[in-house]
Amino acid sequence: MTWLVWREYRAQGAIAFALLAAFAAVILVDGFAIASHWHSILLTCKGNSACLHQQQLLAIGLLSDLPYVSLIVPAIVGLLWGAPLVAHELESRTTDFAWAQSVTRTRWLVVKAGWLLLAAAACGGAVAALVTWWSGPSNAMQANAFGPVQFDAQGIVPVGYAVFAMALGIAAGTVARRTLPAIAVVLGGFIGLRLVISDFLRPHYIPAVTAYYKLTGSFTPPGQAWYLSQGAISKTGVVLPQGLGSLGLGNVLPASCQKLLPTGVLVKASSMNAVYSCMQAHGWRGFTAYQPGGRYWTFQGIETGIYVLLAAALIAVTFAIVRRRDA
Amino acid sequence: MISFRVDGRSGEPPYLQIVRQVRQALRMGVLDVGDQLPSVREVVAAVAINPNTVLKAYRDLEREGLVEARAGQGTFVRARPPGPPPGTHSRLGRSLARWVREAREAGLDEESMESLLRITLQADRESEEIA
Amino acid sequence: MSTAIETHDLSKRYGRVSALSECTVTVPEGAVCALVGPNGAGKTTLLRLLAGLARPTGGTACVLDGAPRQDPGFLAEIGFLAQEIPLYRRFTAEDHIQIGAHMNPRWDASLVRTRLAELRIPLDQRVGTLSGGQRAQVALALTLAKRPRLLLLDEPVAALDPLARRHFLATLTAAVAEAAGGLTVVLSSHLVIDLERVCDHLILLAASRVQLCGDIDTLLAQHKVLVGPRKDTAPIERTHEVVQTVTTARQSTLLVRLNGPVIDPAYQTEDVTFEELVLAYMGADEAAAGRHLTTVGEHS
Repeated sequence: MTWLVWREYRAQGAIAFALLAAFAAVILVDGFAIASHWHSILLTCKGNSACLHQQQLLAIGLLSDLPYVSLIVPAIVGLLWGAPLVAHELESRTTDFAWAQSVTRTRWLVVKAGWLLLAAAACGGAVAALVTWWSGPSNAMQANAFGPVQFDAQGIVPVGYAVFAMALGIAAGTVARRTLPAIAVVLGGFIGLRLVISDFLRPHYIPAVTAYYKLTGSFTPPGQAWYLSQGAISKTGVVLPQGLGSLGLGNVLPASCQKLLPTGVLVKASSMNAVYSCMQAHGWRGFTAYQPGGRYWTFQGIETGIYVLLAAALIAVTFAIVRRRDA
Repeated sequence: MISFRVDGRSGEPPYLQIVRQVRQALRMGVLDVGDQLPSVREVVAAVAINPNTVLKAYRDLEREGLVEARAGQGTFVRARPPGPPPGTHSRLGRSLARWVREAREAGLDEESMESLLRITLQADRESEEIA
Repeated sequence: MSTAIETHDLSKRYGRVSALSECTVTVPEGAVCALVGPNGAGKTTLLRLLAGLARPTGGTACVLDGAPRQDPGFLAEIGFLAQEIPLYRRFTAEDHIQIGAHMNPRWDASLVRTRLAELRIPLDQRVGTLSGGQRAQVALALTLAKRPRLLLLDEPVAALDPLARRHFLATLTAAVAEAAGGLTVVLSSHLVIDLERVCDHLILLAASRVQLCGDIDTLLAQHKVLVGPRKDTAPIERTHEVVQTVTTARQSTLLVRLNGPVIDPAYQTEDVTFEELVLAYMGADEAAAGRHLTTVGEHS
């Protein structure tokens, strides 16, 4: 049975391997070039932090789109290999041949899907490893460890995305029994789910750390933190999100502070200082809710786990359908 | 080796056609005593009929004593059907052809020739019975 | 004699459409069984149910000592050939031989190679580029190489020219002969002449129901054509089962299934041909009570 999978996919496997090798070559060459450039910058700008910063920004400017390959690969894997896995065989009726041999449908699916899920994980993992290595210098320069390029394209989550996209393709193909609708489902479903999870679930994997500080002062979270929300909070728990400026402050503030509000739409930050002091006197504090950079790998693990669980559920559905459905 | 023809539309059951063709082959000298009949597999591979048909025909021939099945080897001709030795048929066939030509020249059509043959056979049968 | 197939009230619905209803048939082991019926009568459905490729919505089926199931042992005993001749078009015949060797416990690769060599079909050419007849032969050889005990063939010769058809049926009957009773075949086809040569058993479906099932010689002996002057057919109908009636102004022709001897001297009794039998029962769904009344040349 494994032999059959090999025979069916050996051409595609060779192409994928060649593309991966080409990508690896490009990224390795570029990565080593950046690394040596980095060292020479350190020597040139020794002690001069402004020079250092400027030079480093220039160095990582080239080929900065490479990480996006890591974002695309999972979707492609699901589209090209996952969607047709069952659907193409059903469409071309080769299931009438395969399921008339002495192999049960369960075993047929286990071997086919198993190898392809492994291949998906390997592709995702290889690309992620290369991009993570290459991004070393770039990561060091980032203020936020959880940005799309830093989080979605590196680490172990691309493995989870690839496995999920593959499972989604296989399941969609099995339900739709045709390749093209399955491809549409993979595109829509994969992109949609990624957006939903990264925008709505990811901020809450672990309850954010909230730091309180004087309104008249400021607070910088340590490391490469991910700012979730900022603003002012009163003694009674009324929240004023940052960025409203003087508009909208009106009704919430105590009367004495409102009198101090500057008029006009465009407000200089310095002219708000008197307002802040007044608010502080009334018990208002500043707050920042953030995820510390140190939680990066924990979050990677959680998100990968979510995608792998979703993939497992999809595969379970696929098995149930393949076993029970009429051929 | 004998080859069989089975006509699906002749109205004669296929197995009887095979029996008849074996008997005919024996009379014409195409098959001789000791010759091996083709195996069931060989027959159906050539003629595409149900193997049971061939088995039935061979069993009938065996019952008539014309063939015998030797375990592990096949079916072999045991005896010729009662009748004149081979060659008689071809000789008589030739003289019959001459008669047919003569009858046609005299103006008889096929139906008349057939009814003439039938009447002659009947008369001959009756005279045999009397004798 | 043991049975290869035994079904009881087997039925299959797709939504509100009934593809097969209350199908009860028996096929003895070693038989070559013809499966006949109009398009849409349920032949493909029945074959797929027996092969385990579809699940019944009612009734039971016993195929080779058990219900059709997802079990390697059972799957190894069944050979199924679907109507579209399913093969991997990009693969060669040799590829398919390798696939079969990896997916079946009993696999006779030399059988395929020998058969295809006899038919001069190349092993190293993509199957998609072979002719329809050649593809059908490859598929049949691959199905036989499994050494199954039961062959289920869904209109395998439908798209073949007469010579290819002859080769196909010759290969099939040769395999049956070699198996000496160990191979049972169910073969659906529209070509009555071929079926008559090759089959000794018959299942006839019409209107998704079984109209006839049994040994062909027995069935032919049980049916007769009665030809006589046109008159009231009620006495005949009381004793025998009338399958089809054709009347002209002066004459009645009845195809009956006998329940005893025909006493009425007005009728002349004739044997029924296989084709007449099949046609009569295939038309049986068009009228009530299984009788099809055709009036020919009637003057009003």
